[in-house]
Amino acid sequence: MSQFSRLLTPRVHLNNSGFFPPSSIISPSSLSRQLRCTPPPHHSRVSRRATSNGAPAPSPAPPEPAAVYGGGGANQQAAAPRRVTLATLRGKHRRGEPISMVTAYDYPSGVHVDAAGFDICLVGDSAAMVSHGHDNTLPISLDVIIEHCRSVKRGAARTFLVGDLPFGSYESSTPQAVDSAVRVMKEGGVDSIKLEGSAPSRISAAKAIVEAGIAVMGHIGLTPQSVSALGGFRPQGKTVDSAIKVVEAALALQDAGCFAVVLECVPAPVAAAATAALQIPTIGIGAGPFCSGQVLVYHDLLGMFQHPLHAKVAPKFCKQYGNIGDAINRALSQYKQEVETQSFPGPSHTPYKLAATDVDAFLNALVDKGLNAAADAVENTEKEINGTPQLNKIYA
Amino acid sequence: MMRQAFRHLARRRWLSNVPESTVYGGPRPQDASSSAAARRVTVTSLRGKHRRREPITVVTAYDYPSAVHVDSAGIDVCLVGDSAAMVVHGHDTTLPISLDVMLEHCRAVARGATRPLLVGDLPFGCYESSSTQAVDSAVRVLKEGGMDAIKLEGGAPSRISAAKAIVEAGIAVMGHVGLTPQAISVLGGFRPQGKTVDSAVKVVETALALQEAGCFSVVLECVPGPVAAAATSALRIPTIGIGAGPFCSGQVLVYHDLLGMMQHPHHAKVTPRFCKQFGNVGHVINKALSEYKQEVENRTFPGPSHTPYKITATDVDGFASALQKMGLDEAANAAAAAAENAEKDVKLPENN
Repeated sequence: MSQFSRLLTPRVHLNNSGFFPPSSIISPSSLSRQLRCTPPPHHSRVSRRATSNGAPAPSPAPPEPAAVYGGGGANQQAAAPRRVTLATLRGKHRRGEPISMVTAYDYPSGVHVDAAGFDICLVGDSAAMVSHGHDNTLPISLDVIIEHCRSVKRGAARTFLVGDLPFGSYESSTPQAVDSAVRVMKEGGVDSIKLEGSAPSRISAAKAIVEAGIAVMGHIGLTPQSVSALGGFRPQGKTVDSAIKVVEAALALQDAGCFAVVLECVPAPVAAAATAALQIPTIGIGAGPFCSGQVLVYHDLLGMFQHPLHAKVAPKFCKQYGNIGDAINRALSQYKQEVETQSFPGPSHTPYKLAATDVDAFLNALVDKGLNAAADAVENTEKEINGTPQLNKIYA
Repeated sequence: MMRQAFRHLARRRWLSNVPESTVYGGPRPQDASSSAAARRVTVTSLRGKHRRREPITVVTAYDYPSAVHVDSAGIDVCLVGDSAAMVVHGHDTTLPISLDVMLEHCRAVARGATRPLLVGDLPFGCYESSSTQAVDSAVRVLKEGGMDAIKLEGGAPSRISAAKAIVEAGIAVMGHVGLTPQAISVLGGFRPQGKTVDSAVKVVETALALQEAGCFSVVLECVPGPVAAAATSALRIPTIGIGAGPFCSGQVLVYHDLLGMMQHPHHAKVTPRFCKQFGNVGHVINKALSEYKQEVENRTFPGPSHTPYKITATDVDGFASALQKMGLDEAANAAAAAAENAEKDVKLPENN
C-alpha cells in the first residue's frame, strides 16, 4: 500500500510580509510538521486586518476606530491543532471509528468545516449546482474548481482536503488525468483528489495519478458526472449484476492505489458488502449506515435553500441539521425593514464623526460653492445628531 | 452528488438587460406569472423610489444561493461586490480578485436573482489604465456576467472619464466614493474619509462629478453623517451609504457581515463597526455541522429514514451467493446481515 506521508506534500505558508515566520511558531510535534512553516492558525487569518500593510490588529476597539475593518485580537490557540493526514484516517478506519466528511466551496464554509472538526473536507464539483446554480455538475471547469479549492484552503488549516476532478478534465486519456490532478494539487493546494467511475480507463487513470504521488479517492455507485449515460440521478446497485459491479469496482480502485472510495446512492447491503470486502475505508452518501464514514453536501445538510418562499427539495438521504435558509431570509427581511423605516443605521452604527469646528468650516465651504441645500442638510444633520428630534428632510 | 430536480419559484434570468416594459419587449418569462417580470427592478424604478423618498436597499451576493436569498427577501439591488475577494476567497483585501473570477460570481448570481437590479463591481486592475480598458471590462461584466450595471471606485479625473465613457457605451454606472477599498495602498489602510473639511468637500465634489458623468447612483462609504447628508442633498441621483449614517438615499451591507456568517463560539470575527448583525448564521452553521459530525461518529446517522435505496430480498440472496463464488465470504455475510438488520432496524457493528 502506498504511503502518502506528509513528507511528499509539504505545505509551506509565507506570512503576509513574505518571510517565513520565526521558528518559535513551528510546533514541534512531528517530523512532517517541521517541514512546514505554518503561520499562526487560521483563526488569525479570519480576523480582519486593521491595515493593509501588515501592521498587527489593534486590540480593544477605541470609540471611533482609526481603521474601518478593525481586526480584533486573533483567536489563537496555544498550539496548532493536529492536522488530519492519511495516517489519521487509516487509524480511524482500523479502530472502527466513523470518518466524518462534508463539502465546502469557499473561505467561510472552509472555516466552518475546519472549526467543527471534520476529518475530511471535499471541494466538490457539486459546486456547479449549489454555488453556481446549474442543474447538474457538468458545466464547472477545472479553473473554477481550482479557485474553489484555493478559497477553502485559506479557511481550513486542519481538515484533510480533497479536490474533485470536474467533468471533462480527466476522461480523454491518462496523461490528461494526471495533468489535471497535478493542477488541482499544485494550484488548488489540496491534499488529494477525487475522481468518478470505474471503467478500465478510469482505473488506469487513478493508478497513474497515484504513481504521480497524488492520493486518490474513488467514487462509485451513482456518479453524477455520468447522468447522461445513467439517464439521470439514479441510484445504482439495485440488481444482482449491478451490485456485484459495485463491489468489483471498489476492489479495482483499491488495487489501483486509492486511499478511500465514496459509495453514492446504493442499497445498504451493497455498501455493507463493499465495505467488508475492502481494506480501505468507504465513505457513504445515500448508502446506508454500514460504510466507514459519511459525506453530505454542505448546503443540503444546513437547509440552505429552505425558507417559506423558496421550497427546495433536499435529497431523500440527506438529513437537515439546520434551517439556515430560513435564518438568512429572516435576517435579510429584518435588514430591509430597518432600512425602509430608517431605523438602520442608528447612532451606534454611525461611528465616523466630523469635529464640531470642522462642521462649521464644511458648512461655509459648501455655501461658498453655491451648494446651499447641501449646507442646510449638514445643519439639519447636526441638529438631529445633537438630539433635536426631526423628521427626515434630507431629500429637500 | 445526488440532486433531485430543483423546483423553484424563481424565474431563470435570460441574461437580457432589456426590461420588459420597454418598447421592444424582452424575453417573455416562461411561467404563468409575468407579474414577476413586471416587478423587476430597473434604474427607472430606483429613480421612482428616490423621488418618493423611499429608502433603497442593497445587499451583496456572490453565488447562486445568496442571490436567491437576496431576491426572495425583496432587496432592491444585488451587488456582486469585489468584497468577494475577502468574504468568499479569504484574502485580506479586495485587490487579488480578477475580472474572470468576478464574472463567474456574476453569472452564478444572475442565475439566482431575477428580480433585483444586478450591479457588478469592476475589480482592481481592470479599469484604471485607460478609458478603453474600462469600457472593455464593463462590457464583459454585462455581456458575459449577465449584470444590469457596473460599479467602479474613485473620483480622480481619469475615473470620471472612464465612468463617462462607460455610460456612453450604454452601460449604467454606479459610482463609489469615500473609503474606496481598492485604494487602501494610497489611503494607508481601510480608513474612513471626509473627516477634514477639505476631504469632506472633496467627497461632495466627487459625487457631483460622477453625477455629471452620468452615474445613476453613488455609494458613499465610511464618511461622517453630515458629509453623507451634504452629498445626498447636493445630488439628484440617489446615494447608497455604508458606514455613512442614516441620511443617504439607501443603504448597502455585505451579506456575510449582516448575517453574522463568521460569528460562532470558537471563531470570533470582528464585524465592521457600522454593520449591524441581523442574524447569527455562523453560530447556527456551527451547531448544525457539529450535530451532523456527532451523529456520524455515534452512528445515529444515517438511520432508516435516510437510507432510502432498497434491494429486494431475492436479489440480496443472489448477491450474497455471487459474492461467495468470488471468494468474498465476509462481504456476503455483511450483505446478508445488513439486509436483515435493515428490516429489524438494528445497528450492525463495524466489520473491520
